[in-house]
Amino acid sequence: MHETIQAIILGLLTGGVYALMASGQTLIFGVLKVVNLAQGALVILAAYLSSSLFVSFGIDPFLTVPIVAPALFLLGAAVQWCLLRPLHRSDASQLSLLVTFAVALGIEGVLTLVYKSDYRTIQPSYANRSWTVAGYRIGEVRLAACLLSLAVLGALALLLGRTRFGRAVRATVQNPTAARLLGVEGDRVAALGYGLGAATAAAAGAVYGMVYSFNPNSHYDLISRLLSIVVLGGLGSLGGTVVAALAMGVVSALVGALISPVWSDFSFFVVLLAVLLVRPQGLFGARLRGAL
Amino acid sequence: MPVLLELRGVTAGYGAGEVLHGVDLTLDQGEVLCLIGPNGAGKSTVLRVVSGLLRTGRGRVLLRGEPLDRLSPRERLLRGIVQVPQERSLFPAMTVWDNLLMGGYLLDGTRSGRREVRRRADALAERFPLLAERRRASAGSLSGGEQKQVELARALLLEPALMLLDEPSIGLEPRARRAVFDTVGALAADGRTILLVEQNARSGLAAADRGAVLESGRVRLTGSGAELLADPRVARLYLGAGGEPQAQQPDPHSRER
Ligand SMILES: Nc1ncnc2c1ncn2[C@@H]1O[C@H](COP(=O)(O)OP(=O)(O)OP(=O)(O)O)[C@@H](O)[C@H]1O
Ligand SMILES: [Mg+2]
Repeated sequence: MHETIQAIILGLLTGGVYALMASGQTLIFGVLKVVNLAQGALVILAAYLSSSLFVSFGIDPFLTVPIVAPALFLLGAAVQWCLLRPLHRSDASQLSLLVTFAVALGIEGVLTLVYKSDYRTIQPSYANRSWTVAGYRIGEVRLAACLLSLAVLGALALLLGRTRFGRAVRATVQNPTAARLLGVEGDRVAALGYGLGAATAAAAGAVYGMVYSFNPNSHYDLISRLLSIVVLGGLGSLGGTVVAALAMGVVSALVGALISPVWSDFSFFVVLLAVLLVRPQGLFGARLRGAL
Repeated sequence: MPVLLELRGVTAGYGAGEVLHGVDLTLDQGEVLCLIGPNGAGKSTVLRVVSGLLRTGRGRVLLRGEPLDRLSPRERLLRGIVQVPQERSLFPAMTVWDNLLMGGYLLDGTRSGRREVRRRADALAERFPLLAERRRASAGSLSGGEQKQVELARALLLEPALMLLDEPSIGLEPRARRAVFDTVGALAADGRTILLVEQNARSGLAAADRGAVLESGRVRLTGSGAELLADPRVARLYLGAGGEPQAQQPDPHSRER
């Protein structure tokens, strides 16, 4: 029993971090109707940038987020404006899949040149500290990571729900032509949306780098999980994405603790397949699929 | 009345295929013009060229003499051109009220603009009781006829100089269709300038000051509603023996989204 609860705690904390990574992915899918295969690579890029800032300048990894996020925002917006926007005219959604994959490979290549392919982690002094609450171990970094994720998710929800930009995004997601006819500039919304999705990768990267070891190839592993979460959550639903990420975290942690760590990654895909067999639209993607 | 909108030899199309082969059309200030024509004639394409969703090939689109062809849909909206497209155009997951407010998106960037948008929305809610009654309902939960009323109300939020209405009655049951024509009639009585596309030729022409017949990407005939309804060619093509066969056709777009 103790072991089960410990695993659930770990799973929820991990799931919170995945929720953050996947929310950026969901946002981009919602706005652009493009599966962004570069999201994993953006997270790894952010992890490296955060690591460099920590190692070279002694900046606390959590404090690197406000530095790395704007950089990734610009990178994301530039990718959309320069590479994806020209495609949209000819309605080439398959091409955009290739373009985002090319971006992922490009980032991987640059990272390999600059950092070599050794594994590394970000190790601040508190990296391995933990609290014990009622006999359960809670890693400090994991808890802080989870809290940061929730804070960023909350900010994202406020931005989408309460601001003029958010209304433009939701309108574009739900009916792009109607939004254009009301004066929303779709290209600009798409660039800002992609930028924002990329910026969430900055927060996710710093956290990821403290919890896991990574190298330039790590994005393949990440992107497959992110895609599963986004699909499980119902493609384009932010709430669904969070629930799916938490579910994924808990399932893999439980299987890892109670059965074998060998099956912990695989277990999630079993859950994904099982859910999709019953609900092909995902957990939350019902009538209003892609409504954010 | 001065000329508000003029199309001069406008061509347009999608990709390589040209759909409009030189459309000439004028619309006076305060006039309601009903454009009729068979499926695929290019009626919606004409409206898209005016609203800016589609670029003009050759020819010109002029508003009060100013060429619009290089302007984006947003810039044309700023000049008062509002389009209600043929396919459903509400944001289904937003509430009715938020949909209405989106009609003022161009204005609500400033505090005073936001206040103005709210004021206009409240005024529209008095004119369209549905807006107040279903205020918090999600737009997607409304019937087709209710959605069309919300779309028409939303289009009024910018107090447009020119309304482009693309088959507003299509796919609706008879009562909702009558409600649409009542609304169009009320707008006409207010002195709005409207370019109305209708397959429902009899009702459309009845609501209009003037009609034009578009066929294969060209305007073939223009005249008053009564003249067109009496014209044997129009009667043969669009009114058929039994009245309005076209109105019975299933709407290819109504199932979208
Ligand atoms: N997005 C598009 N891409 C390619 N071709 C299109 C597109 N929209 C319309 N067309 C074509 O252009 C032609 C004119 O279409 P348009 O929608 O303007 O006709 P319409 O008169 O409005 O017809 P309807 O009464 O069916 O609405 C048709 O042959 C149609 O197939
Ligand atoms: Mg049409």
